Amino acid sequence: MKSPLNLSRRTVLRGMGAAIALPWLEVMGPVAAWTADDKRATTSPNRLAFLYVPNGKNMVDWTPQTEGRGFDLPPILESLAPVKDDITLLTGLTADGARSHGDGGGDHARALAAFLTGVHPRKTDGTDIRNGISVDQVAASRVGDQTRLPSLEIGTEAGAMAGNCDSGYSCVYSSTMSWRSATQPLPKEVNPKLVFERLFGSGGDAARKKRDTLRKSILDFVREDAADLQGKISRNDRQKLDEYLTSIRDIELRIERAEKLPPVETPDVPVPQGVPAKYEDHLRLMADLLVLAFQADVTRVCTFVFANEGSNKPYPFIDVPEGHHDLSHHGNDEKKKAKIRQINQFHVRQLAYLLEKLKSTAEGDGTLLDHCMIAYGSGNSDGNRHNHDDLPILLAGKGGGTIDSGRHLRYPKDTPLANLWLSLLERMDVRLPFLGDSTGALQGLSV
Amino acid sequence: MRLHLPSAVRLLAGLLLAWPLGMHSVHAAAADSPDRFSRDGLPFMRKHCADCHGDDLQEGSLTLAPFTDSTAIIKGRKTWQTILRRIESGEMPPEDRPRPKQDEIAAFVKLVRDIYDAYDRTAKPDPGRVTVRRLNRTEYNNTIRDLVGVDFSPAEDFPSDDIGHGFDNIGDVLTLSPVLMERYFAAAESIVQRAILPSPPPPPKRFLSARYTEPAGKDVPQSKFRPIATDGEQPIHTGPLNTAYKVPGDGEYIVRARVYGESKDGQPVRAALLAKGAEVATPAGDDDVARIAGHSVERMRPMLILETFDVTATSADKPQTLEATIPANIGFERAAVALLKPAEGQPAVKLHVEWIALEGPLDTRPRSHRELLAVTPGASQAEQTREVIERFARRAYRRPVSEIEVDRLVTLCDDAMAEGLSWEAGIQRVLLAVLVSPKFLFRFELDDRPQSPEPRPLDEYQLASRLSYFLWSTMPDDELFALAEKKQLTANLDAQVKRMLKDPRSRQLVENFGLQWLQLQRLQSFSPDLERFPTFSEKLRDAMLRETVLFFSEVVREDRSILDLLEADFTYMNETLARHYGVVDTMGARAGQKPVRPGGQRIRGDEFVRVSLADNQRGGLPTQASVLTVTSNPTRTSPVKRGKWILEQILGDPPPPPPPNVPELEENDQAVLSGSLRQRLEQHRANPACAACHDRMDPIGFAFENYDAIGKFRDKDGEFEIETAGELPDGAQFAGPGEFKQVLRERKDQFSRCVIEKLLTYALGRGLEYYDRPVVDRIQKQVADNDYRFSALISEIVRSQPFRLRRGLESAP
Repeated sequence: MKSPLNLSRRTVLRGMGAAIALPWLEVMGPVAAWTADDKRATTSPNRLAFLYVPNGKNMVDWTPQTEGRGFDLPPILESLAPVKDDITLLTGLTADGARSHGDGGGDHARALAAFLTGVHPRKTDGTDIRNGISVDQVAASRVGDQTRLPSLEIGTEAGAMAGNCDSGYSCVYSSTMSWRSATQPLPKEVNPKLVFERLFGSGGDAARKKRDTLRKSILDFVREDAADLQGKISRNDRQKLDEYLTSIRDIELRIERAEKLPPVETPDVPVPQGVPAKYEDHLRLMADLLVLAFQADVTRVCTFVFANEGSNKPYPFIDVPEGHHDLSHHGNDEKKKAKIRQINQFHVRQLAYLLEKLKSTAEGDGTLLDHCMIAYGSGNSDGNRHNHDDLPILLAGKGGGTIDSGRHLRYPKDTPLANLWLSLLERMDVRLPFLGDSTGALQGLSV
Repeated sequence: MRLHLPSAVRLLAGLLLAWPLGMHSVHAAAADSPDRFSRDGLPFMRKHCADCHGDDLQEGSLTLAPFTDSTAIIKGRKTWQTILRRIESGEMPPEDRPRPKQDEIAAFVKLVRDIYDAYDRTAKPDPGRVTVRRLNRTEYNNTIRDLVGVDFSPAEDFPSDDIGHGFDNIGDVLTLSPVLMERYFAAAESIVQRAILPSPPPPPKRFLSARYTEPAGKDVPQSKFRPIATDGEQPIHTGPLNTAYKVPGDGEYIVRARVYGESKDGQPVRAALLAKGAEVATPAGDDDVARIAGHSVERMRPMLILETFDVTATSADKPQTLEATIPANIGFERAAVALLKPAEGQPAVKLHVEWIALEGPLDTRPRSHRELLAVTPGASQAEQTREVIERFARRAYRRPVSEIEVDRLVTLCDDAMAEGLSWEAGIQRVLLAVLVSPKFLFRFELDDRPQSPEPRPLDEYQLASRLSYFLWSTMPDDELFALAEKKQLTANLDAQVKRMLKDPRSRQLVENFGLQWLQLQRLQSFSPDLERFPTFSEKLRDAMLRETVLFFSEVVREDRSILDLLEADFTYMNETLARHYGVVDTMGARAGQKPVRPGGQRIRGDEFVRVSLADNQRGGLPTQASVLTVTSNPTRTSPVKRGKWILEQILGDPPPPPPPNVPELEENDQAVLSGSLRQRLEQHRANPACAACHDRMDPIGFAFENYDAIGKFRDKDGEFEIETAGELPDGAQFAGPGEFKQVLRERKDQFSRCVIEKLLTYALGRGLEYYDRPVVDRIQKQVADNDYRFSALISEIVRSQPFRLRRGLESAP
């Protein structure tokens, strides 16, 4: 049982926007460098990415039989053979927030909402949306000032198209991975062209500077103008206005960083034109952009949703014309399970593409992948059972030498997934007393 | 027991809300004596709950001790919503405690619900609270089009809007992220650049050599100068020489012709420049036209004789240029140079023409530029600046603007000009600032007493905005603004609703409300298995959606009964859809069958036409391909999804989500699980945990089994016969889709209530709460009394308290 003090601290953290979360975090614990020697600071920074796949996995085909080193890659993970030594498989982690806790159905919505927050999202179809700040946004609020963009949120499916997405949960939960605060979901960008422009701008540096100067003067204006509204709007409206003002502030900070930071070179690659027709091309193009972003150090934090939670996308190009979600309720039908495995394998092949690309990019004394922590997984374990313990979680990269990769680690039942996030934050030099339902940093990742 | 933290916090929060309020005395339920809850509810609670949720042991931070009578139950409504949900779901009491009997649980839940019902019937009306709404993508595009006059979907690149309560215009879920803010800037920048051109380009010029002008023919001389004469035999020898132009039509132009004359007596030759325009207000009359020479003159009518000239030039070495201005707004289409007939008895004359040239439109500023920057002539520039800014800001903020607001914007313009920019560029900057201001991006309903829970009417401008965004998804038009300014809108609400529904902009109501209500937006991303459904194509997808939009629009436009949405004898098709439906003509004749009714036109091409249906295979939303497709799986139909759709979207009676931890299906032996889809699903339903809901969903879904997963009619599903007959749990029977639509139509109360609830949610931009129930009841009665006409539905919503009133704060009962 937790102490009341703990409880209230959580409550505070859950309710805070990132903007005010920062000084709080400073108070909560000293931020120390990960390693004592300062060598790392002069070499490559650590990067953090979270990749999400919906509807769980066929866990028997995901979990290796043996623990430690030298495990055999199970069928779903076969395509990761070239990067086997760079991955760490973590078995036994749980997203407790995704469980029902008396809220009935809605496991898909909760699975994605709780994945990076460690929080049980409020069940609502719209009124008073509430989740928690997500780990990527904690990292962004801490290290985001060192890059042009604090974080990048990408995906391939826009917010859901209609209706309540899962048993009384607003679609925002099943389509959003990043939460800047308990009440502010960050929509993902699905158009590669717009991602590219966000990373590298359009029209060159001079045009950007001119635009930024104008924007700054307008920002000053609107802030002053918005002050008129004080005292004439009620509490909920005030919250919306705060979102606006926070966004305004964000743009200002971005402009200031752009002035301060060394110019980002636009990579010599063809600029993406819109959304590719084929899903695989789309995923790979987004992966390419993620690599570019990390390589150019435009950002160090990224979330990437392969498909919205509960997605019923069919995969006819790998002989699975049925919808993913429909299939995931396989009722232990072997044929359906085989198809689910095919989908799982397809997604992992895209992961392998990304990892190999990171690995083939030299950086410092090693590869870009060496300086990454790429978490890949789902907030649902078995799509048929909708269970949120024993999640399929994989960590790729060596975290700047802080992760002893190439192993399969098994954790005690119900170990919070948020413990992993806490330990990844440490590796970004962010010490946090807790995140969501975490009970402490996850042990055993380093040597 | 492990404490689940977040839910505990939530419960705690609920209690904190309920607790202090519970201390006040409340008289609402005092008439109930002895109190029903004390008498009938307390024993259940003491027996099953009090051990863990009493004063001593407060599991999950919940104590039920304060809840001793109806009054306390009413005060603790939020807490009790959670409590009831948990009791009903069987989660409480927990597994390790003795279980109450099913009828005990039902009685307890009903008791508490009845207490709320009784309270709600007499409760003070509460209009509820709408969280300020950000313009969603559709509203942004439409508003920019109406406000600025540029129409290019600037919101295309915005992140998609989140959806709450089924719609994308719900204040609470319309969040604003930094990425969206950046996009607002980018959009505003490109909007003002299109709308205003600080240095307009010079007017375009077009030259045409006379030998290429009309009248044309092989005998036209190919010399540099083309001659026409007053005594020629043929049009090509007499003119007038003319040429057609495609021009925007509303501008002023200059027409020029390079000529010299030739006359026997050396007198100047008389010529004229002409303009043909379909909208010339006072065209040249017969007498005037009779003065003009040339066989082609009639084809220049209706015409303006722009100007007549004495042509003094007499040689190709020294030609002269004739020039005249073509006025705006004449529907200009053709310009000509002509000879005037010599006076009676005078010899014939000749005109040699080198070219005809057109310059214009002289004003190259786009219409948006001219309209946005229109000023009172003669006013000082400072006055003009204020005039332009005040007008724009008032429309953008959809309310009168204060002096201070205008001053601030004027300063922005002045600063830009101090930087050396032009006045137009200064105004551009003002527009940019307005377009990224929260006052434009959000629909604030400003209020001097934002924290007061007292309901009060919206002001007239706020009402105008609610109306226009509800019915048109855009800002109010001039008429609404004018009424608001005169405070006449409330008084003219009905007339305005009627006008607005007739206006083409009401199509937005169908496309935004209609398609979201029916969940048809999902059709855009639906990808059926093309091997099984090779006739599916993008064209068919578009046609499906379009049918629904056109069909629904007719119900709106013609003010038909909303029951027609369920079953109707007409629809709209183009050739693609007609082929999909097996229909060939507008009287509904089927391919390969004798027409039932004569006079049908064949349905051809991409154009949609209205079709009178000859049988009941189609007609009404439930049997439209759009609906049938979105409720299918990619590879097959899903009777469960179709049943759920009818229950949820049409009858407003959604089945509860499957209970958590649905018992897993037994290992599916292929031998057992063969047979038709119906047989297979019936096996599924043999499980009592599933049956309760699937007995409701599945029979409905099976009524539509004659339609495959892309809504094509079929008699067999593969090798299996299709049985569409079924029975609902309440005993209603039907033989197939036609009869089932009848069953639906008979449930008008349920259907109309469902539509009212959805439409009210959309109109208000918030989810409905318990206190909205009396409003829905009243609207439902009015709609029934008005034969379920669509306009009655809209009028009643618009007149309802939640639509016209607002309050601050959350007022707990």
